[in-house]
Amino acid sequence: MRCDEAQQLISAGIDGELSRTNAEELREHTQACASCAGVAADFRRLSQQLKSAGREILPARLESRVRLALTEMAADAPSAGVRRKPWVRQLAALAAVFLIAVFGTWTVTRQVDSEARLQQDVLSAHVRSLLQESPIQVASGDPHSVKPWFNGRIEYAPEVKDPATEGFPLAGARLDYIGGKRVAALVYKRRLHVVNVFVWPAPSAEDTAPRLISNKGYNLLTWNHGGLTYWAVSDLNGAELQQLKAFL
Amino acid sequence: MSPRTTFEQCALPHLDAAHNLAYWLVRSRPDAEDIVQDAFVRAFRAFGTFRGGDIKPWLLAIVRNVAYRWLSVRKRGSNVVSIEEAFAPREGDVAGEAWVASEEPSPEAQLIGAQERARVLTALAELPPAFREVLVLREIEELSYAEIANIIGTPVGTVMSRLSRARGELRTRFGTLSEKEEKNAL
Repeated sequence: MRCDEAQQLISAGIDGELSRTNAEELREHTQACASCAGVAADFRRLSQQLKSAGREILPARLESRVRLALTEMAADAPSAGVRRKPWVRQLAALAAVFLIAVFGTWTVTRQVDSEARLQQDVLSAHVRSLLQESPIQVASGDPHSVKPWFNGRIEYAPEVKDPATEGFPLAGARLDYIGGKRVAALVYKRRLHVVNVFVWPAPSAEDTAPRLISNKGYNLLTWNHGGLTYWAVSDLNGAELQQLKAFL
Repeated sequence: MSPRTTFEQCALPHLDAAHNLAYWLVRSRPDAEDIVQDAFVRAFRAFGTFRGGDIKPWLLAIVRNVAYRWLSVRKRGSNVVSIEEAFAPREGDVAGEAWVASEEPSPEAQLIGAQERARVLTALAELPPAFREVLVLREIEELSYAEIANIIGTPVGTVMSRLSRARGELRTRFGTLSEKEEKNAL
């Protein structure tokens, strides 16, 4: 072992942190080399002196200071910082209540809004159809001509029936525009009254019971059946409108 | 048992070691006290992350971090602090006794005497912090290289070479100090 190698190991040697082989080689070297042996002796002496110098005196008040700091902290946060301060929780609760209120109101008004808007759309479509020369684009009392007419015009096939024998002859059909969508409109007659039945895919496949709504002297009857939403509109009385529903 | 009681039982026995390391890193008694308090509060907050085993290296690593943060904030001029200030006797320090850390001085300490102690500590105080901390951890705290590596966050090999260089430095400075004193004596 050369001196420069040995000098790098002397320190670890006196700490007993050398491998057995390194320690043995170092021992052999220092036995032969006076200079390295001198360094080793100096290191050992310095080490002894530092060891016996001991720690810096601990101020007596430090322990009580630390204890006090820990007690204060533990009082603030009993589970070491997990529990939040009371005002944080109050603020969080307040924010939660606020959000629920806003969201709740928004959802309710949105539902009411969309329902009212749809009703308005349906009614407008009905009135508009009466203002025109004819409420129908395809005039036929035959369901087998009317139903295929919708092919390619809309993406669903509404059920078309002709309850003429029941006093509700099928006059024909047309396309209309309700709630931002193209919808099928079937036109039935009842004496001199015109009944528009709008049909479009329902948001859910569930059937719902018919609901009768009166608006500006018109009667609107709506229900879901077979995955389709139906809106029947007419100036016909509600009872007769419900009769028509039974035949469709 | 509350978490605080558990923590105090584990950590407070090492208050002495924590204070010693803090003192040797910042070389100011009031700062060392503040650092120890700060470090113990941080350690308590982080006690949940302590993996068990010997708490001393874990605690000393926190003390060291706080002390280094303190040093970088303080950064007052050069890193060389007035030795006179660090070693001047303070109020409450009883002459002679002040140098003895433990209540019962070891036979070695009595043999070496106060003067010798002052000289070696003065030499230590003049070393850069990176050398000071490995020497304090090795010689005073008597930690293994692996434990020191853990505390200062370096590989064991770095601890080994740093200690070797620190001792070399100390030897040079201690030698010059001794020579100076001999000259003064003449």
